[in-house]
Amino acid sequence: MKKRVMNIALFVVLLLVGILTVVPFVWMVLSSFKTNAEISALNQTLLPLEFTLENYTSLQSNFNFLRYFANSVFIAVVVTALVIYISCLCGFVLSKYKFKGKNLIFGVVMMTMMIPWSVTIISRYTMFMEAGLQDTYLSLILPVMVSGFGIFMMKQDISGLPDELLEAARMDGANEFRIFHKIVLPMSKNSISAIAIFQFLWVWEDYLWPYLMIDSEEKQLLAVGLTTFNGRYATDYGGLFAATAISIIPVLIIYVIFQKRFVAGVAAGAVKG
Amino acid sequence: MRKSILAAGMAAALLLSLTGCGGEETVSHKGITDTNPDKGLAVMGEHVTYDPNHLVNGGEPVVLDWWLWDAPDLFGSIAEEYEKIHPNVTINIINNPWDGYWTKLPLALQKKEKGPTLFNVHNSYQHLVLTYMAPYEIDLEDLKADFFTAQSHEIDGNIYYTDFGVMTGAIYYNQDMWEAAGLTQEDIPETWDEFREVAKKLTIWEDGKLVQAGFNYNGDFQNLLLGVPYQFGDTLFKEDGKTACFTTDGMLETARMLVDFYEVDQVGDEDFGADAAQSFGQGQSAMVYKWGHHYGYMQTNYPDIRYGTFEIPTSDGTPFAYDRYNGEATPGINKNASPAQQEAAQDFIRFYLANTGIQKELCMYYSLFPANNSLRDDEELKENPAIRAVSEHIEEYIWPGAMPSTVESNLGIAAQDILYNKKDIEKTLKTAADIVNVDLANTDFTSAESLYYKYESKGE
Amino acid sequence: MFKKKRPLQSKSEIVLRNIVVIFLVAYMSVFLLIPIIMAFAGSFHLWNPLNGTYEWIGLDNYIRMFQYPTFWTSMVNTIVFCVVVVFFRVLLGLALAYAITSRMTKHKTFFRTIFYMPTVTPLVAVAFVWKIMYNPQFGLIDQIFGLDINWLYDSVFALPSVMVMTIWKDFGYAVILFMSGLLSIPSEYYEASSIDGANAWQTFRYITLPMLKPTMIFVVITSVISYLQAYVPVMVMTEGGPGTSTFLSSYLVYDQAFVKYNFGYASAIAFFILLLTAVLTVLSFKVTGEKA
Repeated sequence: MKKRVMNIALFVVLLLVGILTVVPFVWMVLSSFKTNAEISALNQTLLPLEFTLENYTSLQSNFNFLRYFANSVFIAVVVTALVIYISCLCGFVLSKYKFKGKNLIFGVVMMTMMIPWSVTIISRYTMFMEAGLQDTYLSLILPVMVSGFGIFMMKQDISGLPDELLEAARMDGANEFRIFHKIVLPMSKNSISAIAIFQFLWVWEDYLWPYLMIDSEEKQLLAVGLTTFNGRYATDYGGLFAATAISIIPVLIIYVIFQKRFVAGVAAGAVKG
Repeated sequence: MRKSILAAGMAAALLLSLTGCGGEETVSHKGITDTNPDKGLAVMGEHVTYDPNHLVNGGEPVVLDWWLWDAPDLFGSIAEEYEKIHPNVTINIINNPWDGYWTKLPLALQKKEKGPTLFNVHNSYQHLVLTYMAPYEIDLEDLKADFFTAQSHEIDGNIYYTDFGVMTGAIYYNQDMWEAAGLTQEDIPETWDEFREVAKKLTIWEDGKLVQAGFNYNGDFQNLLLGVPYQFGDTLFKEDGKTACFTTDGMLETARMLVDFYEVDQVGDEDFGADAAQSFGQGQSAMVYKWGHHYGYMQTNYPDIRYGTFEIPTSDGTPFAYDRYNGEATPGINKNASPAQQEAAQDFIRFYLANTGIQKELCMYYSLFPANNSLRDDEELKENPAIRAVSEHIEEYIWPGAMPSTVESNLGIAAQDILYNKKDIEKTLKTAADIVNVDLANTDFTSAESLYYKYESKGE
Repeated sequence: MFKKKRPLQSKSEIVLRNIVVIFLVAYMSVFLLIPIIMAFAGSFHLWNPLNGTYEWIGLDNYIRMFQYPTFWTSMVNTIVFCVVVVFFRVLLGLALAYAITSRMTKHKTFFRTIFYMPTVTPLVAVAFVWKIMYNPQFGLIDQIFGLDINWLYDSVFALPSVMVMTIWKDFGYAVILFMSGLLSIPSEYYEASSIDGANAWQTFRYITLPMLKPTMIFVVITSVISYLQAYVPVMVMTEGGPGTSTFLSSYLVYDQAFVKYNFGYASAIAFFILLLTAVLTVLSFKVTGEKA
């Protein structure tokens, strides 16, 4: 009986927090079907009084929405895949190998996270220009493919892998590359999923760097397009919310794909222990 | 599972980017040779004239990129009009988001001829782009004769950009509320004292709660601080044109008057609507002080509100100047563009300035008082309430010069400190001026206030 | 039978190590060290790369920074912001992750997805939504709670309002990480503790918490670092106002670099923040109990 009450109480609390969490979100999505006047009207209603699809239909005319969208998906997928692989590899070496200067390198990796982008972005821009990388996707991938966050995370995670497991594989004659691909990578699914989810979002959101580097319209990214709603004198709330609502979808999909890995991760976790 | 989705995503994106590249190439190679110099078209303009009957770049194809931050359709139609006369010239309109435009533009101009040939300019960012600009190849006296603000943009005997129109502030009032309060056209106030009385009549309090503000300046305090002190004969900058002074009698008086509107007369409240423009649109505030762009804002967001405009009140009816104005600038030309591009760009600018139809269209779009003198009495422009309100005394508005953004942003901070944080007016404005002056010392800004025709009589 | 320590490193281990070390060193030098050196040099100059200004002014930028009252306001705000937001992020994250992973909870996936929604929404859009919700006239918050507070224009409430938004936006991140951490705790530990007759609190205190230490360190440190660089919420919601009461140090850097284009001055401030971040990171490692 007591357990049952606890169960219900827990559910209610979770549900309340859940509602608080989604209210602003739902409000945003519903507002994307409202006119701008209604979004900031004195009498607020949750549902649109005057249902309009204009915010959505005008997206494509504002900028090449579908094109930007596809570009963003492409870049986000490539960067995320690279970050995961590089983070795992670096995390493995930095956690399981012993060598001089390891801590120094790790310290510098941590520092990458601490440098405000506003300070280095112009110098970086000059460098990339001189290297002739403007208007290429390489220029969007190179500066973010090593993530201090990712390496830190993988180092933490892989250091928990039992050494015996690796030793056993070495005894069987596996070389380090094989060990990395066949043991370390599959056993880090939890953290890989987390990195995938976070990294995808960061690439997806970043706007100033792609804006500076990419000149041709057909290569531009979605985050840059989203800023066109924030004009000089006023913000087009309806357009911004509509574009945002659509732009969340890929991030949600990535989330849904990788969150299943968490469940799989439970099983893996048992072996791991 | 994951891998297959990743692969599918990549393949799809790759495919899209490939097809996209293919499409682009066919577009950029368009270009026709023009062989007909004399098309028998009329010459445009009064002093700055444009004779369309000549070949540009010897009739050979030339491509110009033109960067803007808004209104691609409007500027695109201007470019098309020009391309019709000179089919060998292709002008690519490239619209950028306002956020980041001023970072990317100078960087793009550092790429010399690979940067845009034409780019829209805003005078508050002049210090970033002037070094990349070529002067207009138009006789200075002609420009000054046609454009009344051109003189203020003269730099070492050259003009790099000028204004196509000017914007300034006016009072916007809600006509329904005006009538409901029993007010008529006769009651349009000319002095701040009259304004105060009207505002009181337009204010409604119910059970100790404000429900209708007579006058709402939330978000506009700093704009009033930048303009109203001129009415008292006080300028923003000292005689040297380089030192800001925010503790003049006029500035202090303005600040006190505004605070008193809320605290003594209670015609509004700093917490009543975070933003006066929105509050006006929602029908909560009867009067607001707004710049010309408010017309477009109301049209897009609140088309149902009936409103009128009138000129900003003054202290005694005979001000030193009414308010500050600011110009919307004509495009700049990249001085490092290729000779062919520069020739075409110079030709285009002449066309752009001499064509009064284009000048009018631009002013209509942005609700600007036209800088081109021949449009001064244009009836259609005067139908726009934002333009009508400021027409009569437009000569008696001052342009402080191409002020770096530190002036406005620090006065904005001061305004909030006074209004919301209840800090001492004089001390706060003094601090703001000190910070601004440190910033200004690092720029080569010089105020344009001394160009005002009554400047000699300032402070009297 | 054998000692764990191997006498010899295998050839492939050396190869892999060298690949990683050389790659990291090269990458860091090019993409990190060079820009940082350029920025550090810039902090001693009157520097505006956009119009080509670059004049030596010695320590002027640093002197100006220490004399600028807003700099100190922003430092205090940043520390308050960081401490409060990180605290709630960890607290909420841990509590909710614990609740979701609890055997008693049904619909785990549902809750997990719900809590993660704010995190996947672009920050700029979210900040605009909250700005409207905080409006004193028609905002959701005043309407629901029957209040009449001008949240973003009141020097008392403005910073907490921005903090609440940030906590809402980001707690899902901590939930995910703590769940990930909780799920990797082997169930044998729990079985052992229940055999020993430990109650729920004891199990949490003596089994769960210590096992979560690496996750905790990770969450705290990445949070501190990212909040020291947070400026978007302030940019959208308050622009540092009213007055300067919500200036965060990174907003100051952004404002000086990309609004006023004083890159030298912005760099000077940024290096001070870097120093602060390094100190706080070491401190966080100390507090959570692991050597860097």
